Amino acid sequence: MDGLELLKKNWKKQEATLPKVSYDEIYKMIWKRSSSIVKWIFIISIFEFVIGVLLNVGLADKEYWNSLEQLDLKEVTIWIYGINYLITLFFVFRFYMNYRRINATSSAKKLMRDIIRTRKTVKSYILYVLISLAIVTLAYVYIIIYHHIQDTQVTDNTPYVFDALDWLKFTGITVIAIGIFLAVIWFFYQLLYGILLRRLKKNYTQLENLDCD
Amino acid sequence: MDKELEHQFVSKLERHQNIAHKICRLYTHDRESHNDLFQEITIQLWKAYPKFRGDAKFSTWMYRVALNTAITLYRKKKRGIRTQDFDTVHFKIKTEEYDDETEQQLGLMYNAIKELNDIEKALVFLYLEDKNYKEISETLGISEVNARVKMNRIKTKLKSVLNP
Repeated sequence: MDGLELLKKNWKKQEATLPKVSYDEIYKMIWKRSSSIVKWIFIISIFEFVIGVLLNVGLADKEYWNSLEQLDLKEVTIWIYGINYLITLFFVFRFYMNYRRINATSSAKKLMRDIIRTRKTVKSYILYVLISLAIVTLAYVYIIIYHHIQDTQVTDNTPYVFDALDWLKFTGITVIAIGIFLAVIWFFYQLLYGILLRRLKKNYTQLENLDCD
Repeated sequence: MDKELEHQFVSKLERHQNIAHKICRLYTHDRESHNDLFQEITIQLWKAYPKFRGDAKFSTWMYRVALNTAITLYRKKKRGIRTQDFDTVHFKIKTEEYDDETEQQLGLMYNAIKELNDIEKALVFLYLEDKNYKEISETLGISEVNARVKMNRIKTKLKSVLNP
């Protein structure tokens, strides 16, 4: 007999040897997706934290600290680093809790709530990063300029006198520069978390649709 | 409401899971990737389930989604090292019913099919599942003529594998 026909005749017999997956196992599988997205959010946040610390420690050499000291900013900077680490760690912890929670979720209702919560955490984290960066940058720019004015001794003041237009230009350029800087950071975060957030949202809409049916 | 739908889906899939397992066995080479693909198929089915409106049979719909997953999604995701797990490589049937020669022939045939490309495999699978060409063409989204021509080519190919 033809090999293929022989196989076809006996095809059904393999069913006795197929694995069996239980109702509960299938049930668990359909919730895995959200949990793995949230897991990635958690992992990325850890990476971000570690890379942030490494960059801070690696880039801050003696010279950097010396120049900060000259500006009387050394202590403040250490405080800012410390507070920033604490807050970031707090967010990492929140991400972890979200992951734990979603992993243990058994109903669609709860899952939807957890998805909303996770999205909120990520969004407030990004907001925190942007606002804190804006404030710190503005403060540093102000202090540096202030110091510069105090430390510089000028005999003839006339070329340095700012009229209203000059001030406007100066603040305008500063604000635009900081704005661009923040936009770049924002864009970076959109790349980092945006894709995951969109997937979560899609997942959420699906769940919502199920709910409506 | 959602609970009910979940329950509906899970029990249907539980009942028809053999379809997915047979596909997994055909498309993967060890138990781990078998389970991986099974999970992927489950997720894809669940994702598509809201669109499944019962105008087709669940099993018919499942053939389509599961094969699509095996062909497109899984191919993109995994092309791992092929560690051959003796258990799943061979076509498994209750051996005592057969003489060695038949069993060997079945094994050879099955392995030859595993060597086909992903689309051909899907075609042969549906053929072995005793689907007619109309069903095969609908499931795979090709024309009936095309399905016939392809199937004939595969048959010739398989013959030459067994009788070189």
